[in-house]
Amino acid sequence: MSYCLGIDIGSAYSKGVLMDDRELRASYYCLSGGDFRLTADKIKKELLSQADITSKDISRTVATGYGSKMVAFADKEITDISCHSKAISTLFPSVKTIVDFGDLYSKVFLIDGKGNLLNFLLSGKCAGGSARVLKVMAKVLQVNIENLGDLSFKAKKDIEFNTGCAVFAESEVISRVAEGFAKEDLLAAIHKALSAQCYSLAERLGIERDFALTGGGARNKGLIKAMGDLAGMDVHVPDAPHMTAALGAAILADEALKRLEVRGQNFFVDK
Amino acid sequence: MNDKKVKGLSKVENYYQHYGLRAGELNKEGEKVIGYICSFVPVEIITAAGCIPFRIKGDVHEPITKGDNLMETIVCPLVRSYFDLCLKGRYDFLSGIVIPHACDSMVRGYSAWNYSLDLPYSYFLNIPSVVKESSFEFFNAELNNYRRGLERFVGKEISDDDIAGAIRLHNNNREKAKALYEFTKPEVPLISGTELRKVLAVGLSLPISESNQLFDEVLTEIKERKASPGKKGPRILIDGACIDNYSIMEIVEGLEADVVTDTVCTGTRDYWPEADTGIDPIDALAIRYLDKINCPKTYRENRPGTFEGDIADRFGDIGARAEEFNVDGAILLVYKFCDPFGFEVPARKAYYESVGIPLLCLESEYSAGTIGQLKTRIQAFLEMIG
Repeated sequence: MSYCLGIDIGSAYSKGVLMDDRELRASYYCLSGGDFRLTADKIKKELLSQADITSKDISRTVATGYGSKMVAFADKEITDISCHSKAISTLFPSVKTIVDFGDLYSKVFLIDGKGNLLNFLLSGKCAGGSARVLKVMAKVLQVNIENLGDLSFKAKKDIEFNTGCAVFAESEVISRVAEGFAKEDLLAAIHKALSAQCYSLAERLGIERDFALTGGGARNKGLIKAMGDLAGMDVHVPDAPHMTAALGAAILADEALKRLEVRGQNFFVDK
Repeated sequence: MNDKKVKGLSKVENYYQHYGLRAGELNKEGEKVIGYICSFVPVEIITAAGCIPFRIKGDVHEPITKGDNLMETIVCPLVRSYFDLCLKGRYDFLSGIVIPHACDSMVRGYSAWNYSLDLPYSYFLNIPSVVKESSFEFFNAELNNYRRGLERFVGKEISDDDIAGAIRLHNNNREKAKALYEFTKPEVPLISGTELRKVLAVGLSLPISESNQLFDEVLTEIKERKASPGKKGPRILIDGACIDNYSIMEIVEGLEADVVTDTVCTGTRDYWPEADTGIDPIDALAIRYLDKINCPKTYRENRPGTFEGDIADRFGDIGARAEEFNVDGAILLVYKFCDPFGFEVPARKAYYESVGIPLLCLESEYSAGTIGQLKTRIQAFLEMIG
């Protein structure tokens, strides 16, 4: 047994994946909260209890995400960009272009067939263009965030919606509500605006087939459809897109472990 | 505080943490300190006048407050920071100030500097933005105006010999700076990028003779070094305008990479070009400041006539430096609302691509709180090229 742990401390949610020799053993996510150290400990404890093992059984831990340096027990820190790339290329080997809808930023990156990062771009420093916009809108329109996508499919009217900035977008939506527009129509417009913004980011980098979406925002069906429409191609989305970076971290931990093992056991061969 | 026993890098650290300390002391002793911003102020003439040229430095940790009343936020944050610090009395030892016509923020802001600081000496240096034959004629005359203005301020004549002498001292300083850069050339650099840039920044806050002495001390100290602070990681070139806060270097070097060279103003842009000797000293300064300093504020004619030829002409020095320092990648840091650099980003990107140097473009707001956000991008870039 060689258990590997991947922990992704994001700005909104934190996620953990436990693997045993590429076999998924446990996964867990929770709100990141105000103390990333405690959150990391909590995730580790939860994963250990799910798999019924102890801390000693874990051979290697890789931390990623905005708060990765707060994971005191990690052996290595790797950016979420590299972790997403690794996980997506493992799940969908044909993918070359990835859009990650995070809470803090949206990111676009190009990878080669082996999951190596070739180039990347991030949305602006504010939350404009990030999946947080959806969270803000769900709150303004008092809709459950899980239902945003489905509701947007029920739109009847096209509304022009221009603002990219999360804060200004909130006030734009409120003014549209005051003008009497329906929730569904507004949601469709917001999805369209957000996806257009992220798609143009991807275009700046040059989109190559195949195309995948990841990150918490990729749980939203409306966004997946809007991105697919813009790209004119099918998009690959992992079953649990919010867990992708944690999964990639666990895979990278596993790969590093195997390299270490090879070095230890076949010392002369490796030389 | 000017303890004779404190030497080399310890002295640098002290003067860096208390930027302007020495200039303040000298002012109390009766010396005249002339503040300037940007690489385009011929400091040699200030030295020749018997004054101390002092490069005004911004502060990313000081929120811009007072300055905002007189300069709107469309002015670049670096110039606003300089101005804000001056208004708040950070550099209250200045007897005068020189602002060059380098970018719009400086031209349009000059009147605000002039009336709000109300210093005994204040000069706006009219340096042309285009390099053509007529520009040299014009700038030569302007340099003499600048010289006459300083003569009136100090009450004595500034002779050609005075200027030639100052040119020798400043050239000497630039040679020593280049010798410091040599220490970053080994596979594991002997001086860290952060250390080097602090030395270079402090060098611009001292009388030239003291700056030369300090550089000598640092050269000796580094030569005797047993342990190297270098990382043997990816070798990075920092490209951009005036980067006078070193958080960005610290982030890069904290991620196991080495900042080995740069194009920035308090780095090679200021320290690389020397003024010619053996010709008329005013001509030598006109050539150095108009043509030898490579900054996007200067428009140069597209001599080759093609886009590819033009970018090779304008940015060739970047590629040459990258080769000299065996660079693995470059980070371009552009300040928000910095017009000269902002306009040039696409052409710069194309140049980097043409010479095959990986490039990361970052936008900065010149505020300590926003620098950390650049870390994710830098880390991913280093993972990509590493």
